[in-house]
Amino acid sequence: MSAGASETSRRRLSRKHREWLAAALFVAPDALGLLVFLGVPMVLALGLGFFEVTGFGGISFAGLDNYRKMFADPLFFDSLKVTIQYVVGFVVGVFVVSLGLALLVQQKIPFVGFFRSMFFLPHVVSLVVVGLVWQFMLTDGVGVVNQVLEAVGIGGRSWLGDPQLALGTVVLVSIWFFMGYYMIIFLAGLQEIPREYYDAAKIDGARSWQLFRHITWPLLKPTSFFVLLVSTITGVAGLQAFDLIYVMTKGGPANSTSLGIFYIYQQAFQFNDYGYAAAMSSFLVLLLLAATALMFVLTRGGRFETE
Amino acid sequence: MVMGPQKGEDREMKSIERVGREESGGMSRRRFLARGASFALAAAVTGPGLTLLSGCGGSSDSGALKFWQFYGPGGEVEAQGKWFEDAVKGWNEGHETKVELQYIPVTEYLNGSKLQTAFSSGDGPDLFIISPGDFLRYYNGDVLQDLTPYIKDEARSDLYPNVMATREVDGKIFGIPMEVEPMAMYYSVKAFEDAGLSEADVPETWDGLLDVAGKLKKGNTFGLLFDTNPGYYQNFTWYPFMWQGGGDAVTASSQKSAFSSKGTVQALQFWQDAIESGVAPRKALGTGANDIVANLSQGHAAIQNCGIWAVAALEANAPDFEYGTFKLPLPPGGEYTTDLGGWAFVANSKGQNPEEAGRFCAWALASMSEQSVTRGVDWIAGADSTVAPRKSVQQQAEQQGAFDEGPMKFFREEAFPGGRGEPRYTPEVYKAVSDAIQAVQLDGQSAQDQADAAAEKIDTFLQTYDGARIV
Repeated sequence: MSAGASETSRRRLSRKHREWLAAALFVAPDALGLLVFLGVPMVLALGLGFFEVTGFGGISFAGLDNYRKMFADPLFFDSLKVTIQYVVGFVVGVFVVSLGLALLVQQKIPFVGFFRSMFFLPHVVSLVVVGLVWQFMLTDGVGVVNQVLEAVGIGGRSWLGDPQLALGTVVLVSIWFFMGYYMIIFLAGLQEIPREYYDAAKIDGARSWQLFRHITWPLLKPTSFFVLLVSTITGVAGLQAFDLIYVMTKGGPANSTSLGIFYIYQQAFQFNDYGYAAAMSSFLVLLLLAATALMFVLTRGGRFETE
Repeated sequence: MVMGPQKGEDREMKSIERVGREESGGMSRRRFLARGASFALAAAVTGPGLTLLSGCGGSSDSGALKFWQFYGPGGEVEAQGKWFEDAVKGWNEGHETKVELQYIPVTEYLNGSKLQTAFSSGDGPDLFIISPGDFLRYYNGDVLQDLTPYIKDEARSDLYPNVMATREVDGKIFGIPMEVEPMAMYYSVKAFEDAGLSEADVPETWDGLLDVAGKLKKGNTFGLLFDTNPGYYQNFTWYPFMWQGGGDAVTASSQKSAFSSKGTVQALQFWQDAIESGVAPRKALGTGANDIVANLSQGHAAIQNCGIWAVAALEANAPDFEYGTFKLPLPPGGEYTTDLGGWAFVANSKGQNPEEAGRFCAWALASMSEQSVTRGVDWIAGADSTVAPRKSVQQQAEQQGAFDEGPMKFFREEAFPGGRGEPRYTPEVYKAVSDAIQAVQLDGQSAQDQADAAAEKIDTFLQTYDGARIV
């Protein structure tokens, strides 16, 4: 009995090891890629923030000079302000729109698969193409958006040329691009909710809003947290918004769409101040970590439990 | 109690293995995992290796000098790409060190990061082209080869001094211009006629320009187009309006800002008035206000501020479009000037063979040989439409009748004289000026406040600046 148990234990251990090894090998290429192309550059960028780097091979230790410059740079704080405005608009907008779409396409309606595909379709297009197409549609005077507005008696506007409108326009295009992606995530969350809850509530006379308020919303909280977290990171990092801004506005008009990430890009690649750009990047990462930590604390790690 | 679950688990595992075999065509799960893992390992090892290998193949290991520029196949004017090809072919036929053209799309070259990142990674091109607006960035980065030793005295004196001023430092030449591009105003003859205007109504003052633009605004056609995209090009097009009233970004000694001045403030205000009066759009079509085909010829604007290159662009892409040209209008008491832009060949001092790269620049654009002069003529009066940066080329082009009539005659005789070379400002000065233009033009800010703020930024920067003189 004892010898048999020991042999079984060895076999189990051996199998576990083999599976662990196989799993590790499967993960290795991706992990290696992340380490080489993300981890190492991140560490280097953090270090570069303490150096003056010209972009032509010149490098010298600068201590905290780049950080001092950053805190005295009004344009950097302006870009942070624009980033916050963008993030708030984008996160709230994409959350509401994608949740709404998910609730719609969850219904048993004809051609629901077609509608799901259509809503997701923008997300498979290159952001540069998206930027160019929207720029064309939003053209002053002759753009299709202004033509439609003028046809219904609303005067056309300069959507990308007016500082009061440009950021909002970029936010709307961003939402349009991402809504299908987050819709799919919400849809997965909705389909996890057991139908029995709804059936029982309906028998008790619950109406649509009550079903949503007392069943859907509470049970969708983990998914909601995921969407909030990922969309916030997407917004603050601004990697997707960068493409749109680069194509549609170049940070203008009057810096109204100059997100933090765009200002960092300008400092690094247009003004050759790599050290300063690295310092600002490090600061932006810190802000992002703080925002993420705050969300985790407020939502108790996405569980939203009071106990 | 312990054995039960183990047996059960073993049975379950065997069952899974059986399903696995069935699903993978007879292969056991163990073998499937093992083979998958081997494959993944192989991919992990060979993937980066392949990337490295392909990277080796992509660079110019042939020893040829890489020449980056944006006049490539499929460009706006096909002959321009051909001119570059012919120049390189001519060099390669008579020299051991070859030159290899590499085409970078124009938007990426002007506003992208490709050129900069290439230098940052120590793999900048051996040859490339730059405008004065970008000169100091590369000069101060110590990557521009001194071209003086490769240019004979006779050829040097053939180059116009005012054109060379922004390509020289301490008497040494670091760039050889291929062209001189004055800015002017273009107008649509049809739009003028439709508004009941004629050539006699061509405005000569800023107020007159806004007045005529107001008459030309009709439906979706704006009366006037200035650039609105933030960037080097917008600054370039705005400078002459600042200079006309005596304004400047820095003093002649380059020690202090001159931006907070009457000339600067009125130029900022003029561009704001054009937008706020509704005669000028907030966005240009196509690639921007340098794109005359997408804007003037398509009826987006009736008058457009653009450079001499638009003559060739219209001839190639809108040959039937009827247009006229006139000099930049003046402010009250102003003195005429315009901006003389243009690209120059430069060599990378840290490239694989800076000396041969320098020789190529001189051979192509600054030699007294017949081929070099003819090449210059072919560019300014063939592939492109510009004024020449050197006397011999200009004379030969004039002898051939390139400036005898039409818009080229206008540019040579009216727009070009009195022009000032595009200034070479550092990125910090450029950014301060750009922010002021944008804030006043598009955000309705006070011209005086923005001029003061920009002057302060420039002064702060100049206190620690120790690069080449800002001209």
